[in-house]
Amino acid sequence: MNPVARALWNPIVAKEYRTRMRTWRSPFAITLYIVLLGGLGWAVFAAMTSNTAGFGSQGTNYGQFLFLFLVIFQVVLLAFITPALTSGAISGERERQTLDLLFVTPIAPFSIIWGKLLASMSFVVLLLILSIPIFSLVFLFGGIELDQVVYAFAVTGATALMLGLVGIAFSSFFRRTLAATVAAYGTAFVLLLGAFVYGYLFPIDVDPNALTAPSPPVITLISPVLPLYTIATNGPLAGYGVRYSQSQFQSGAQGNQYCAPTINGGVMCTSNGVGTGYTTKGGVQSPGATLQTGLFQGWQYWQASIALQLMISAVALLLSALVLPPVRRFHLRRKQAPAPVAA
Amino acid sequence: MIAVQDLTKVYGKRAALDHISFEVPEREIFGFVGPNGAGKTTTLRILAALLEPTEGKAFIDGADVTRDREKVHTRIGYMPDFFGVYDQLTVGEYLDFYAACYRQQKRRRQTIVNDLLALVGLTERKHQLVDTLSRGLKQRVCLARALVHDPAVLLLDEPASGLDPRARVEMREILKELQGMGKTIIISSHILPELTELCTMIGIIDHGRMRATGSVREVIARLTTGRRLRITVIEQKDAAIEVLTPLASVRNVESVNGTIEAEYEGDESTASDILFALTGAGIRVSSFIPVDGGLEDAFLKATSEEVG
Repeated sequence: MNPVARALWNPIVAKEYRTRMRTWRSPFAITLYIVLLGGLGWAVFAAMTSNTAGFGSQGTNYGQFLFLFLVIFQVVLLAFITPALTSGAISGERERQTLDLLFVTPIAPFSIIWGKLLASMSFVVLLLILSIPIFSLVFLFGGIELDQVVYAFAVTGATALMLGLVGIAFSSFFRRTLAATVAAYGTAFVLLLGAFVYGYLFPIDVDPNALTAPSPPVITLISPVLPLYTIATNGPLAGYGVRYSQSQFQSGAQGNQYCAPTINGGVMCTSNGVGTGYTTKGGVQSPGATLQTGLFQGWQYWQASIALQLMISAVALLLSALVLPPVRRFHLRRKQAPAPVAA
Repeated sequence: MIAVQDLTKVYGKRAALDHISFEVPEREIFGFVGPNGAGKTTTLRILAALLEPTEGKAFIDGADVTRDREKVHTRIGYMPDFFGVYDQLTVGEYLDFYAACYRQQKRRRQTIVNDLLALVGLTERKHQLVDTLSRGLKQRVCLARALVHDPAVLLLDEPASGLDPRARVEMREILKELQGMGKTIIISSHILPELTELCTMIGIIDHGRMRATGSVREVIARLTTGRRLRITVIEQKDAAIEVLTPLASVRNVESVNGTIEAEYEGDESTASDILFALTGAGIRVSSFIPVDGGLEDAFLKATSEEVG
């Protein structure tokens, strides 16, 4: 077996598949996942058809709203499932007292992590594949293109990878699965919800002279919520992550103007004096799902989100690989041996 | 084959191992004896390259356990003092998994698994879930697991712990067979009589310090000073003790469970003189047995000293 094949397929992957699929938990998790996702899809659809005023009356809107609800709910479900899959990956081996037995084999600690990750992520991919038929219902209504589904799945996959690796990092660090699980869920909560809420709590001040609206703080892109929203609606979340102050009421030739970003990423200013209605300042319009400023300027929201999540994943993987080996190569402080006692 | 030089391991302020040294030549069975917390498991974990020593060196077949970990892992079969089993794997799958971890070719793995199961007498259990086996059978599976890559050295931490007498005898027979196959074995154990029968060499460790090491016979001879007689008399025990106590060659006399145990200095001729003194005093002796000091006495002697 060549090194690449060996890296991708080590005995731990095969063993994990075997042991995981022999328990009742996996079929139960799959069934529950499908039932919940399908149930939400049905509930949203039922709500839309019974109250068209609230969701718009066009079929394309049905598709967009249904898609938005499904992708967000899918991420929420995976946020619950993925840490459960990985937070016991290493600590569980410790508790079963099988970790030392793996360490005395020629399998490198990194391969152990990789095998565990691959097995867990395969299960996540299985769940994503199983959800495709539910997502395909969206196409019945239109308004969503195939590439949007692909991007949404890419963001969801990256989120699951990030949460999975964070779970493995905690599992390598903590001796007990319970502690690792609590830490993994806590971190998942912070990364997904906390990062999103950050945009509301610490928005970026809008520059009154800018032609385009500023992008939300970079940290908010760690959460998949905003990128998934932009994928589903083809535009940023109006007013999210930016702040306007009274000073931004500018004195124009025809009175005061108030500027705000538009749904598609531009800035729209309204005249407050003569009452000529809304005008577009500067006339610069930008694609709705593209970041206008900041570190990822010119990137799509989903691209920046995946990049950030992969960075966090890489850090988690690195920390796991540093923490896991029984004999570490780095020591903060060397212990001194006592002098031999005379016999 | 195995060389340990001034090995020290410090946890906090406590030295779990305090400059211990010993050597085990090829094809020997080395019994590692000591009370709980003496440092046996720590030594074995260092030899298995699972723990880094604070100081000192250890070599397995020339490979340094701190530098050539991969080489060490290919040369040793390690069986810790716990089972370490997966609850959803059968015995065959369990061994196949570890054979794969040791990079055995897929087409060879089934042969290896079948051979090992035959060696440990578990062929008929191949398709049973490991977790459902009894303790003794699990112990055998774990021994088979340590052998999947045909290592030259076996490090066995309490392999007979918790086993019933039959399982112990079976385990002992398997280990003898492995010695016959050319393996060098280190066994840590509390069960001293079995070690006497099984081991060719012994090391007694206490409070992290090696108290004695060498061949079993040497260590026993070195640590058990004086010879011992177990004497049974008919209804005249007190009189017999009165006869024995003043004898110059007798160092200590005590009554033990209806018999008299007398420690003396000398050889078979001295023992004959003691018997003559008893019968000459009219004591009716029903049995007169020289008792070998044994490993148990050597162990108690070696571990009785207070360590500061």
